[in-house]
Amino acid sequence: MSSVRFESVTKHYGQTVAVEQFDLEVADGEFVTLLGPSGCGKTTTLRMVAGLIEPSGGRIFFDDREVTRLPPRSRNIGFVFQTPALFPHLSVADNVGFGLSVKGAKKAQIGDRVEQMLALVGLAGYGGRLPAQLSGGQQQRVALARVLATDPTVLLFDEPLSALDKNLRETLKYSILELQRRTAKTAIYVTHDQTEAFAISDRIVVMNAGRIEQIGTQTDIYLDPRTPFVAEFIGANNALLGTVAAVGADADEDGRHAVTVAGDGFSVECQGRNGLAVGDRVIAYLRPEDIRVLDEGEQATQRNVVEGEIDRVIFEGATAQLRVRVGDRQLRVDVGGGKRLTLGDRGRTVRLGFDRLNVIPTGVGLPGVPVEDVAPDATA
Amino acid sequence: MIARRPRFKLIDVVSHAYIWLLLLVFVTPFIVLVGYTLTATSGTSTAGNFQFVFGSFLDNLKWSLIISAATLVGNVLLALPAAYGLIRYPLPGKRLLYTIVTLPLYVPGAVIGLSLLLTYYFTYHLATSVFGLIFAMMICTFPLMLTPIVVAMKDLPVVFEEASECLGATRWQTFHKIVLPLIGPGVSAGLMLTFIIVFNEYLVTLFVHPNDITTAPLRVFNVVKTAGLAPSTTALAVVMQVISLAAILLFFRLFGTRYFKGTYLI
Repeated sequence: MSSVRFESVTKHYGQTVAVEQFDLEVADGEFVTLLGPSGCGKTTTLRMVAGLIEPSGGRIFFDDREVTRLPPRSRNIGFVFQTPALFPHLSVADNVGFGLSVKGAKKAQIGDRVEQMLALVGLAGYGGRLPAQLSGGQQQRVALARVLATDPTVLLFDEPLSALDKNLRETLKYSILELQRRTAKTAIYVTHDQTEAFAISDRIVVMNAGRIEQIGTQTDIYLDPRTPFVAEFIGANNALLGTVAAVGADADEDGRHAVTVAGDGFSVECQGRNGLAVGDRVIAYLRPEDIRVLDEGEQATQRNVVEGEIDRVIFEGATAQLRVRVGDRQLRVDVGGGKRLTLGDRGRTVRLGFDRLNVIPTGVGLPGVPVEDVAPDATA
Repeated sequence: MIARRPRFKLIDVVSHAYIWLLLLVFVTPFIVLVGYTLTATSGTSTAGNFQFVFGSFLDNLKWSLIISAATLVGNVLLALPAAYGLIRYPLPGKRLLYTIVTLPLYVPGAVIGLSLLLTYYFTYHLATSVFGLIFAMMICTFPLMLTPIVVAMKDLPVVFEEASECLGATRWQTFHKIVLPLIGPGVSAGLMLTFIIVFNEYLVTLFVHPNDITTAPLRVFNVVKTAGLAPSTTALAVVMQVISLAAILLFFRLFGTRYFKGTYLI
C-alpha cells in the first residue's frame, strides 16, 4: 500500500506529445480514474506507472521511493489489462499462482493463496480449468485474482471492462470497487466511459491531448467544470458563446458573483466564478436537465425565462429529450418525472426557466472539442 | 407434399473420386518402392534385403541422425533469439536482414555446396569436417527454422509478456514460461521441417562431406550408382522413409496434442 506521485511526467514519441507535464498525487488507498477520449494519453500515463513505458521526462514515486526507471517486476504493481491476458497454456490456478511462483514461493503456500484469491473473486473450485473454458467475465475475474495474489502496492486498470458486454460491465465494476475497498489498495483506473468513472472513483482526472484538464470528485467535475473541454466532454451541455456584460459586486457564500452574459440574440444571468470581468469572452454552459419547462400560467421563479417552440420530442423512457427553438438557436432540454408525458407535440410554444449556468472563459484548457455556439447534439 | 427421393449427387461422387485419385498418384511411388523391396530376386530373400541394411547401412544412418540432431539443436538455439529480436525490437533494416537470412531458400543446393566448399578451403583454410557439414546444414535450413518461429512470434500478442513482467517475472522467466510454450507450434514446425530436410539432404552434403563420413542419402545414391536398382538398395530407401515418417509422427505426438490445439484464446 502506498501513494503514487507524478512529478511533471512527460512522454514524447518523436514530435508527438503523448503526455505533457503530468502532475498528480494519488493518496494511499485512493481510487483515482483517468478519464478522457481515446488518444488523450491516459493509457500511456498508466503504462508509465507500471514501467511498461519509460517516461521522456519527469519522475514517478511510490511513497518516497522513486520508480521512474525501474522495470515492472521491481515495482510490485498489479496491472489488469483490457483483455484478461490469462496465459492460455496454464490452468486457472497456475495463472493465479504465477506471480508467486516466479518469486520462488513454496508450492503449499502458493496453493493456499490461490484458493484464497479464487474465493475472493467468487471462482472457488475453478482452479483446474483452462482459461479458454471460462467466460469473458470469469476470465477478467481470474485476471483480478492473479494480480491480487502477489499483494501489489498499487492496482492499475487499463479499461478492464471495455471488452465485456453491458450487463457484465455493470456488475464487474462494482466488484472491482469492492475488492479495492476490501484490500485497501491504491488504484489508478483508466477509462473513456464517464458512467464507469463516476460509479467507482474517489477522484477523477479528466485528460485531453496529453494534459490534465481538471481533477476533482464527480460533483466537482459535473457541477463545476473548469474548462470548455470538461464541460463538453462530461454529460450534455448547451453552449452559449458570449461576453460578460455585467458583474455584481456582492459575492454569495460560495464566493460567486452575479454575472450577466450576453451574446448573439441572448442575455442570461447567473452566478459566475470569481475573477470574471466585464468584456471577457466566455461560454455559458447550460445543462439540459437544469432547464425547467414551465406550466401554462406558472409564475417563474428562475432568473432567466425564454420562450421557444418545440422542434422535436425524443422519448427515452425515464426521460424525454426536447429540442426547443429559441430565436435562431436550438436548446436541448431533458424532462423527467410526470411532465415528460405531457409535453405535447412539435410546434407547441413553451416557456423555459433556468438559473444554473457554468460560465467558463474561452481559451482555458486545450481546444479539444470544437466549440460551437450551440451544441444541441451533444450526447450524454 | 410429395416426399422426394434424395437426389443422386454427381458432384459429390466426382469430388471424392478426384481426391482419391490424387492420393493414389501421391502414394504410388512409395508403394512401388516398398513392393520392390519385398520381391526377392534370385538368390536373395526379403529379409536378406533388410539384413543388408542393418549391416553396413547402420553407420550411415547413425551419421545422418547425429548431423540432423546437431543441426536441430544449433538452429533452434540460433533461431529463437533471432525471431524474438526481429519481432520485439525496432531493428533498423529488419526486412533486409530477414531477406538475407532466408537466402538459402532461394539459392540452388549445388551453388550453396560449391560456395561453402570454396569458403572452407580458401577463407578458413580448413579441410572438410563433420563440423563443416553440420554448419552447412545449419545454413541451408536456418530459414526453415526461423520462418515458422517468426510467424508464431508475430501472432503472439505482447500483452502476455507484459502481464508476466508486471507479475514480477524476469525476462528469462517470461521467455521460458510464457513465450516459449506459446510459440510452441512455430518451434515444432521448424524442428520438423529442419529434420526432414537435413535427414534427406543429398546435394550440399555431396560437396562438403568429409571422406570418412557418408550419410544415409549419400549412401543410397552411391549404391544406386554402383549396384543399380537392387531390392537391397530400395530397402535402404524404405528404411529412410520409415524413419522420416516416424519422426513426423513423434513430433505430432510430442507437440501436437499440447500445442497444436487452439493455443491461445485471449
